[in-house]
Amino acid sequence: MPLSKKRIGIVCPYGWDTPGGVQSHVRDLAEYLIREGHFVSVLAPAIDDENLPEYVTSAGRPIAIPYNGAVARVLFGPIAFSRVRHWISQGNFDVLHLHEPAIPSISLLACWAAEGPLVGTFHAAAKRQKVTFAVAPFLEPVIEKLNARIAVSEAARETLTEHLDTDAIVVPNGIYASLYRDGTLDSRWTGNTVGFIGRFEEPRKGLSVLIDALPSIIAEIPDIKIFVAGPGESADTVKDMQPSLRSRFTFMGRISEHEKANFLASVGLYIAPNTGGESFGIILAEALAAGASVIASDIPAFDSLLGHGEYGTLFESENSQDLAAKVIELLKNAEGRKAIAERGKVYAQAFDWDVVADKIYDVYQMAMVGGTGVTLSSENRAWNKLLGRQS
Amino acid sequence: MKFIIALFVVALFAWYLSYSATRLDRLHHRVETSWANLDGLLQRRAAIAIEIARSEISDPASAMLLTFAAHQAREASVRDRSQAETGLSGALGILIETATEISGEIEKDLIRELSELTEKIKMAIAMHVDAVTRTQLVRKKAINRIFRLAGTAPEPVTYEFEGDVL
Repeated sequence: MPLSKKRIGIVCPYGWDTPGGVQSHVRDLAEYLIREGHFVSVLAPAIDDENLPEYVTSAGRPIAIPYNGAVARVLFGPIAFSRVRHWISQGNFDVLHLHEPAIPSISLLACWAAEGPLVGTFHAAAKRQKVTFAVAPFLEPVIEKLNARIAVSEAARETLTEHLDTDAIVVPNGIYASLYRDGTLDSRWTGNTVGFIGRFEEPRKGLSVLIDALPSIIAEIPDIKIFVAGPGESADTVKDMQPSLRSRFTFMGRISEHEKANFLASVGLYIAPNTGGESFGIILAEALAAGASVIASDIPAFDSLLGHGEYGTLFESENSQDLAAKVIELLKNAEGRKAIAERGKVYAQAFDWDVVADKIYDVYQMAMVGGTGVTLSSENRAWNKLLGRQS
Repeated sequence: MKFIIALFVVALFAWYLSYSATRLDRLHHRVETSWANLDGLLQRRAAIAIEIARSEISDPASAMLLTFAAHQAREASVRDRSQAETGLSGALGILIETATEISGEIEKDLIRELSELTEKIKMAIAMHVDAVTRTQLVRKKAINRIFRLAGTAPEPVTYEFEGDVL
């Protein structure tokens, strides 16, 4: 990276205190850029104003709205808009990086209010929807202000092209590959085992698909064991299960980063049976980096992350029978499994922050050609003058 | 009453005109920025191509081809630019494919710099093409044509770089 230090503003549309892929991406990116010596300020909605990292500015409390089949914690409204404007005018930024500027939250407001070098990152990968076409005429004049667009996956790029008729550069989400590169085998987890990490209580994480597939798998592989890591009440999940199935499950609660690396390196298979609502699948990238052989549902984000099956096995989403067949096939074929996992491990190095952050910074540089910084949008400025508001 | 409504409609229309003009102006600015960026990267590539032509990598024949293509790319007008650049891509491609063993630190550095540049050029092209198509689309809207809101800004030129940058 170059020697010149830049002032970078990043806008995160979702509540900072709620866990999520976009939030972690923004956090890691901001911290990486700060370590590189840049000045970074993140604007995000937050429930708890007190315990925010130094580089985060709260834009107010997020509002929970149903969006795209899930609950999104976003923020908009006149107060939020004036805070966004204030943050932009005070920030004196060289470049502004807006995440998910096409959803109704502060990124969209910032895109509306700002002018100058703007970069947008699109995370969502959704199927063709009529609703989006209805709002496209409104979104287009806003989105077209972005100097550069980044999509986190091929699937997200296709979504963008289809819905908003604009192209994007693909830069994936980042992981700290070095954390996962050297996991050691732990005999607790090796053998005919399947690992799962995540908030397993959420239906869209798809643990039930695996539970439904289990009887068929047991018939072929009697010593199969399932290890589940992640926060949640395991009692609720297993209470409807037959005792013979229940005994296969081990719930481990949250595990540390170090344990996670060993866990991923040890398990026979890592599974991600998510039924949707996934924008990138960072956990799969981490699993690949740790050398796990991976099986995942064929939702768009996973399909594109796993190179259409090149670096991990895909099964038809929500189809337990297909899942069972694929798991049996993989667990019986240690050689083939290893070959895919080895390819995957090499491939996953491309997700390392050292690579990803450099690429993102390249995009910043391209957006910054011309040398003017970020200012409040001129048409707003004229109208604010007229209405006597201070800009 | 009628007068007030008429006044309101006129005011609204005037606002819409100024809004459209700002929008177009901003788009033209985006095209200029993305072009400046792409142009800078292409100039650097031409400079590297000439250095490669002078280095140990090239035999005299490919050195001549490369120098010729690089100069052509530098001197081309905007309209002929993409064709000239595609020519340079081709010349570089042939050389790098056929160059068997690249030894020497300077040569390795040149090749590394070239491949980094190629990645950036790909991104810059995507950015520029998007800016151009968007601008052309908005310029075509009836209101912008009738009221000549684009003013004297020249129509942006489509850049036909067929993604074959090496």
